[in-house]
Amino acid sequence: MLAASLLVASFVIFGALFLAPGNPVAALSGGRSLPASSLRVLEARYHLNQPFFAQYWYWLSNALHGNLGISITLRENVSTLIASRIWTTAGLVLYAAVIILIIGIGMGVIAGLRPGFTDTSVLVTSAISAAIPSFVAAIILIALFAVKLRWFPALGNGSDLVSNIRHFTLPAFALALSSLAIVARVTRSAIREEADREHVQTATSRGIPRRQLVRRHILRNAAIPITTVSGITIASLIAVAAVVETAFSLNGLGAYLVASAQDKDLAVVQGISLVLVTAFVVINVAVDLAYAVLDPRVSLGSRAQ
Amino acid sequence: MASTTSRRAAMSVAAAATAAALAIAACGKSAPGTGGNGNSQGTISPTKGLVVSTKAGTRPVSSVTWAVYRDVNSLDPIYAFDYPENTAVSLMCESLLKQSPDGSIGSGLATMTNPSPTSLVFTINKAAKFWDGHPVTPADVVYSLDRAMSSTLGGFYTLVFSRVKSIAATGSDQVTITLKQPDYWLPGELASMPGVIIEKAFATKQGKKYGTPSGSIMCTGAYKFKSFVPGVGVTAVANTNYWQPSVKPLVSQIILKGVASDTQLTSGLTTGAIQGTFTSGGLSTLPQLKAGSAVNIFNGQGWSTDAFIVSSTKGVLGDVRVRQALSMALNRQAIIANVYKGAALMPRWLSNPGVFGYGKSVFAKAYDSSPLMSYNLAKAKKLIKEAGAVGKTFTIGTSQQIANIAAVTGAYQAAADAIGLKTVLHNVSAQNFINFFIDPKARAGVDGFLTVNYGDYADPAALLSTLVVPGASQNYDNFDDKQILNWLETARSTADPNARAALVAKAEERAATILPWIPNVQPENLLIMSKNLTGATASFAYMFAPWANQLGGS
Repeated sequence: MLAASLLVASFVIFGALFLAPGNPVAALSGGRSLPASSLRVLEARYHLNQPFFAQYWYWLSNALHGNLGISITLRENVSTLIASRIWTTAGLVLYAAVIILIIGIGMGVIAGLRPGFTDTSVLVTSAISAAIPSFVAAIILIALFAVKLRWFPALGNGSDLVSNIRHFTLPAFALALSSLAIVARVTRSAIREEADREHVQTATSRGIPRRQLVRRHILRNAAIPITTVSGITIASLIAVAAVVETAFSLNGLGAYLVASAQDKDLAVVQGISLVLVTAFVVINVAVDLAYAVLDPRVSLGSRAQ
Repeated sequence: MASTTSRRAAMSVAAAATAAALAIAACGKSAPGTGGNGNSQGTISPTKGLVVSTKAGTRPVSSVTWAVYRDVNSLDPIYAFDYPENTAVSLMCESLLKQSPDGSIGSGLATMTNPSPTSLVFTINKAAKFWDGHPVTPADVVYSLDRAMSSTLGGFYTLVFSRVKSIAATGSDQVTITLKQPDYWLPGELASMPGVIIEKAFATKQGKKYGTPSGSIMCTGAYKFKSFVPGVGVTAVANTNYWQPSVKPLVSQIILKGVASDTQLTSGLTTGAIQGTFTSGGLSTLPQLKAGSAVNIFNGQGWSTDAFIVSSTKGVLGDVRVRQALSMALNRQAIIANVYKGAALMPRWLSNPGVFGYGKSVFAKAYDSSPLMSYNLAKAKKLIKEAGAVGKTFTIGTSQQIANIAAVTGAYQAAADAIGLKTVLHNVSAQNFINFFIDPKARAGVDGFLTVNYGDYADPAALLSTLVVPGASQNYDNFDDKQILNWLETARSTADPNARAALVAKAEERAATILPWIPNVQPENLLIMSKNLTGATASFAYMFAPWANQLGGS
């Protein structure tokens, strides 16, 4: 499945980029007039003078041998360039995922179990944050927490773990904010639905302690929709990361993908896309596996025997 | 030999561009007659009030993060051409000759003599050594120049060596360049990127990796290369064994970081995450930075020109009267106010007066006697009538995605509208804008487009020659004026700087009358530095010669 996805994605992306506006020769020549002989040398070096299918085949056959090609703008191996940035995106997405899981699910559970004021305030908060796109969130967070209050840095990656966490906090929140709201809302309604079920009402009337009730009967059953929505939102963070990375000048894959697409740096766009598609597929597989572990019918059924 | 794109190309928001364009269009109608500031009285300096350098730093500083408008792509001088690469290479590397902040050319790694008009002899400074301690040898010089000249490497500077017959070591500390015909423009290029000297043995060993992120470089400057990590930046550290004992680098570490937008740059400078930057392309957040207390802003001499390129003379712009009328109807004050936030000068010539690097008094006098390109709607309308061009149409190549280009396009639309010309916009994406410069197919059907352009060294001829000499890189429609050409060709072969300046001045005066391109404004070079720093070069010379040798704490 992964191989097929990658092959199709690589062809579509290569084709789209081939048709998209822009001219790699501009990147090669710096926009400066070069003698025709120099231009021919450059075009031949990067196979720009060959037809579309020849260029794609050239890229594909090298990629199958583990060679992702050379960046036109940086004259550097694409795999080296990706390796130096992959951890920024991974760290950012992971940090945002942790925020989504802890705060999003936490808010949803609390709102689901405590109707009234708590519930209403969670609903209102999540409605607002769901409506804020990440690039707006980035601007607001920078203006407030970096420029005004000076609690966090406005841009850059940081050099060690502690400063990394400081540098990544605002971007991670900017990235997590709207997804967090969606997860909170789905969690809340899932909890509500489970709490209203007959077996829960019955268990309550049998005098089963509240804590055990919540853990075994409500959370367990609500886990499936929560996992599904969390998985999808976290996987989608990979794509949104580009916006946040650009806003905070982080050297992640997303921001690099945007810049490379603008320069028509084909090999880099292809390389990054493959990494992102792979990550997307892997996260979805992980969610599928989690179903098997979490499905209460499976585990409860085995216990009943 | 000149820049073709405007910086911060793809970064600007289209909405802002539209707003600015509207503002300018509105000004174009409502504020006639505001075109002329700075009356040409007496012998005022053409760049009065602009500085070339700042007070040398005195205290050590541990680390400085310096912003460039995008990531550096290469540290190889033969591929250095746009702002980020030039800033990085000029920080660490040195050329055979050296441009001072005021644009004058003097000795660099070598001293030049002219035993005959077709022979340039370079005597290498005995003290000059690379970061690894190896002395600079004639072999290194010949190797570096050959690389810059080679067409197989795809370097950007091969054309500047067009009059060179041979480059050879002619002594233990001597290199001789033999010319096919006299070329007094070559020394300027050798004081710029094509003249940067790298170590032969090191570069040969590095091969294709030289100057790439996984490779390294070997130069001679007061700051030496430490690392090049795409997305993070280029890091240089103080070279404590610098060969010129009078220069003591005070900053332990300088990081050049790509910062994509005006907003990020501003929040970075305000919070101290960034401590300095150069900008000359129109910074939209300049008023906010001025209002804040984090940075000092120095208005340095600029070398670049914001201009309208007349790329086709087949249409209505082929008539000189129409070009003159358009120029007179252009509200330059509005461009200065809205695009450059005040940091630009009204033009008299095509070239920025900041580039008077030699024959200064000759240039200044001639420049001062040339009329300011001020607003004169009545005369413009009269010219259009005389030319019989009323109601005719011309096409502007533009990109609404590039805020400053879109704004100046708006000013041209307003000017055309005011004098009874019609305009059609040929709008392309920000990425495709560069094709106007390099692809004849993209220029088809377009009468002109906008640019911010500069030469490699401080000489008006450096830019002018690229658009008026037949076959030159930016002469897009075989512009061929015998007088201008004759003056420039003679200037190129004239040894005496004042005589050369007089010839170039004549060419500029005529170009300002017949307008092969229409100059819009002359941007200043802004040096923006954290309040506790001082000593960076303030003029556009930072692009071509070490700019941080005096940088330090204040």
